[in-house]
Amino acid sequence: MFKKILIANRGEIAVRIIRACKEMGIETVAVYSEADKEALHVMLADEAVCIGPAKSKDSYLNIQNIISATVLTGATAIHPGFGFLSENSSFARMCEDCNITFIGPNADTIDLLGNKSRARETMLKAGVPVVPGSDGEVETVQAALELAETIGYPVMIKASSGGGGKGMRAVFKAEDLENLYNAAKSESKAAFGDDKVYIEKLIVNPKHIEFQILGDSHGNVVHLGERDCSVQRRNQKMIEESPSAIMTPELREKMGSAAVKAAQATGYVNAGTIEFLYSQGEYYFMEMNTRIQVEHPVTEMVTGIDMIKAQICIANGEEMPYRQENIEFRGHAIECRINAEDPSKNFMPCPGRVENVLFPGGLGVRVDSALYPGYVVPSCYDSMLAKVIVHGSDRAEAIARMKRALSELIVDGIQTNVEYQYELLEREEIISGNYHTGLIEGK
Amino acid sequence: MKKNPFKSKHYATSKIVYRTEPQDVEQSEEERPNVPQGIMTKCPKCGKVIYTKLLIKNYKRCDECGFNFKVSAHERFAMILDDGELQEFDAHMSTRDPLNFPGYGDKLVRTQKQTGLVDGVVTGKGLINGNPALVGVMDPAFFMGSMGTTIGEKLARLFERATKERLSVILFTASGGARMQEGIFSLMQMAKVSAAVAKHSEAGHLYITVLTDPTTGGVTASFAMLGDIILAEPGALIGFAGPRVIEQTIGQKLPEGFQRAEFLLQHGFVDQIVRRDQLKQTLGTLLKMHSDRTLA
Repeated sequence: MFKKILIANRGEIAVRIIRACKEMGIETVAVYSEADKEALHVMLADEAVCIGPAKSKDSYLNIQNIISATVLTGATAIHPGFGFLSENSSFARMCEDCNITFIGPNADTIDLLGNKSRARETMLKAGVPVVPGSDGEVETVQAALELAETIGYPVMIKASSGGGGKGMRAVFKAEDLENLYNAAKSESKAAFGDDKVYIEKLIVNPKHIEFQILGDSHGNVVHLGERDCSVQRRNQKMIEESPSAIMTPELREKMGSAAVKAAQATGYVNAGTIEFLYSQGEYYFMEMNTRIQVEHPVTEMVTGIDMIKAQICIANGEEMPYRQENIEFRGHAIECRINAEDPSKNFMPCPGRVENVLFPGGLGVRVDSALYPGYVVPSCYDSMLAKVIVHGSDRAEAIARMKRALSELIVDGIQTNVEYQYELLEREEIISGNYHTGLIEGK
Repeated sequence: MKKNPFKSKHYATSKIVYRTEPQDVEQSEEERPNVPQGIMTKCPKCGKVIYTKLLIKNYKRCDECGFNFKVSAHERFAMILDDGELQEFDAHMSTRDPLNFPGYGDKLVRTQKQTGLVDGVVTGKGLINGNPALVGVMDPAFFMGSMGTTIGEKLARLFERATKERLSVILFTASGGARMQEGIFSLMQMAKVSAAVAKHSEAGHLYITVLTDPTTGGVTASFAMLGDIILAEPGALIGFAGPRVIEQTIGQKLPEGFQRAEFLLQHGFVDQIVRRDQLKQTLGTLLKMHSDRTLA
């Protein structure tokens, strides 16, 4: 086993990883920026190394300094957490070159899954359903009409070099296609200097359902069930739950084995997440995240598997002690992300000094956070303060428990979204479980 | 305001020092992390330190300031040709040291060992985005890419073969000029290669030159500037005499950017400046537009 691990991250996830390492008897090295001198992960780790100024680019993304800190402290592995360098294949490759174990999949796998079209191709080959659409550019209106006919309306026209919603048009019937096709093309030309467009089936009001995967270097792959992450605002998840309210054992079996197939097709080793869009009984592969996720605790609560420890054991070359049939799902877990933001001011981030903190407790309540009274939330990083996770015997109990927990939570001194989250839990769609990704933004 | 359940004060720390079972892991030397030599490369222009593998993947171009690192002939083929596959011509041709120039033979052997090249140009046939072409690449690491009898002969043969096979020629130039150790024989190569280019051109075939840093001296004065289409890499030094020599001769300071690719483009000596990452695409398109197949 590793003797010492460096955690190339900050905040709540760094604390989470340090906790797992401590229980495993592994020494920890924290890295921090000048803005994070007094952060909790720095205090909890056995050693801490400052790796640069406040800006992420100069510190938490500074590959050289992180590698230097690893070599100097004699750590033999790096846990990247999520965000920052966690999906940077060059960083993973460089670790390999320097005889440091990167706790995550290998660099080539990250490259493959980071490339949208290659990932899509791989999944198609493995027999995993992907969103139906064109293979690359659609050059003429005629071709667009024919394609839309085969995949069925509604369809979405998207700019090949696009982003940020520019050059995108939803088409609901054939009569509109020509106009919208030309509009998308000219908008794309104006915005990106390139009028290439492609077409995909438009999934109306989808649910975002993802499957947690663990694969070891001995060829075993298991899935740890799904998470429903459909409560999102601007593609940022707010509430996650496992299992999903719409899930049946048959559907889980089907989607789970598709996820396992997807992971096997890429030779995946370590923890990863396969994201699906789900709508009316159909599901489509969206992408695979090659790292631990923010919402991993809900999976931990229903399966009882400590995923950070699993990641470390897998990176150490150990075989997973369980197979698919040993994975059991118990009860229901929900996670709410508590952010330093003001919902009344369009969720504007609200960094500042946290005067006092009181975390909820009691049976089935878990709080993952790096907050403490007197902590100053820096403005230069993500605004997530804490994750409140509850576990109940069923969905109704879990919702009630979450409401109770949120009502106990006090973060004094800065604005948070706690009340907004509480109100969400009273919405009819959440109670029924019948919500989709448009819940908050009303799409 | 809500009543504060805590008093604000300097924070306390736990009195328990968490101890785990001490591990007895003795690390052997191989298990310890170490940073291998050459893993990072520093950009000489902006000073950014870049992961060498990433630099190679990014066409040896600094993503911060756009500086082009020197590329060897084989690296160039890897960047340009489909699957990097080259069918090499005259691979073992070497100079005969016609002047018996003192020390030349030894230096030649040393350079050959260092670079793995036989002389300063590699020629052959390959595909660029599926379009066949004969390609020559001069390697600046070999005697500064200076042109001696071998380079002249290999290039002349390349053009003759291209004329016979009715194919286009693409030449990447990088040269400090004529090879001094071969004296007048070097200079004669200018005329020889130019004559072969002329015949290739008369037969109606395309010749593209890509001027890379540095392209100077006799190479500029002959085949480098004879291309039907002349491309250049950004920032490449292109000229006949070097800037220092000119300054000393005319006794004047030269204008900013003088003899750089951008300057030459402005003054009509170069048709287009193409970034390395777009070079393969550009060459492929040019070849496609000029190939016989499109006419047929």
